[in-house]
Amino acid sequence: MIFENMRFYFREALLSFRRSALMSMATILSITTILLIVGIFILISVNLNLFLENLESQLEIIVYLEENISTTELNTLTENFNSINGIKEVNFVSKEEAYQRLSKDLGEQKDILSAIEKNPLPASFEIRIKEPKMIEQIANQITKFIKVEEVEYGQETAEKLLNFTYIFRRAGMLVLVLLVFASILIISNIIKITVYARRNEIEIMSLVGATSWFVKWPFIIEGFLQGFISSVLSTIILYNFYFFAINIVHQAIPFLPLVVDSVDLLPIGLAIVLLGSLVGILGSMFSVGKYLNV
Amino acid sequence: MIRMFHVYKNYPNKIQALRDINIHIKKGEFVFLVGPTGAGKTTFLKLIYRGIVPTKGQVIVDGINIARLKPGYIPYLRRNIGIVFQDFKLLYDRTVYENISFGLKAIGATNFEIRQQVKKVLNLVGLEHKKKIKPHLLSGGEQQKLCIARAIANEPLILLTDEPTGNLDPYTSWEIMKLLFHINIRGTTIIMASHDKLMIDKAKKRVVRVERGRVIEDTQRGTY
Repeated sequence: MIFENMRFYFREALLSFRRSALMSMATILSITTILLIVGIFILISVNLNLFLENLESQLEIIVYLEENISTTELNTLTENFNSINGIKEVNFVSKEEAYQRLSKDLGEQKDILSAIEKNPLPASFEIRIKEPKMIEQIANQITKFIKVEEVEYGQETAEKLLNFTYIFRRAGMLVLVLLVFASILIISNIIKITVYARRNEIEIMSLVGATSWFVKWPFIIEGFLQGFISSVLSTIILYNFYFFAINIVHQAIPFLPLVVDSVDLLPIGLAIVLLGSLVGILGSMFSVGKYLNV
Repeated sequence: MIRMFHVYKNYPNKIQALRDINIHIKKGEFVFLVGPTGAGKTTFLKLIYRGIVPTKGQVIVDGINIARLKPGYIPYLRRNIGIVFQDFKLLYDRTVYENISFGLKAIGATNFEIRQQVKKVLNLVGLEHKKKIKPHLLSGGEQQKLCIARAIANEPLILLTDEPTGNLDPYTSWEIMKLLFHINIRGTTIIMASHDKLMIDKAKKRVVRVERGRVIEDTQRGTY
């Protein structure tokens, strides 16, 4: 019986799709457009996030060492660094290497260095961390280690950068939430119009003694199909458009970090399909409920 | 079959649609509900199929107190009540056959039962040869017959008709009336809200007159 009913509900949903083909197409196109806007925004914010992460990953701690450090002390210090949670990479820069770097940086002016008898530059460690927020805490920890002369991490710049990325991320999240909320409202209103066009049918069904679920099922299936088809359509358009767009951006700004792996984009596509289908189902369910009380 | 005890119905705009209605309609009766527009006839019918609940008083339909009926049980009450509207309420994107089968499917009839019943009621109202066409190609009288066929397809105990001859010429009206009498003879209780003086006088059935929400006259073999 349930199976037979389900077949009936599906047939009814498909028939109604065919009966009001123009209306169904208009509905699908409208929902597709809205989901496209949401999708474009998500893609932009994902790439922006990658850019911010990239920016944050440039943050590093430089640990200057005392002059008279022995190899044993150096090894102890390296072990100490490794025992700290949150350190991604430790790079030792010897006095000689520091000197060479400086001389390279000075370029044509490197002759100035010949005026100095002894290499004045200290040996150092360059430390990259996993979580940018932890930079201050880790730096403070390192200050306490033996033979550490000075710890530098561009405190002010780091703070400014972290503040900036924090605000940017929060603002992006807020806009995304608002956009998703608006799209839910718009899609459910579009579906409400399609249900409104068939309110007579709902009223008649209710008057002949159909249970509310019997009335609702074909509409739920139709709402799901409208949402699903629209979201799949918008995902396909979005993916093609995206790869076309990043090609152009890459040519213009080659060093800009962009999400290029389609596997990374899969969750976005799935989220859009889920959003479209779910709003289609719920929108039609609630709209039918409104006309059922006759 | 239908009993009302001190029934009042007020609408939110403070209009008293019905006031102190007491009535008993027996099984198999044919009752005309008459009165001017706005007298409360439609409200009276709506109470029976639980389109609304009374503000005060009791409405008992086939032993069920409709005011206490939980929403989930309303469909089961309605399966015993056929309703025919003046404005037909047909689905114009479906065929004559589908307009009837759709209602039967809604109450869980099997495909075999649906085929049998649709054939039976279409024969009864004389529309068997038009089962494949859409309702907008039918005349007003035929559309009303289709409404009646849909309303009686599941063999309800009660048939409520709200001015079914309101838009029809006298000849077609009488055809509809004959059809309703025929259904009544087979045991269905019929309540018909009407303005059709000619039909009511000719029918010689019970007439309940409603005015300003009150029953002011209730006569067996009455006239308009």
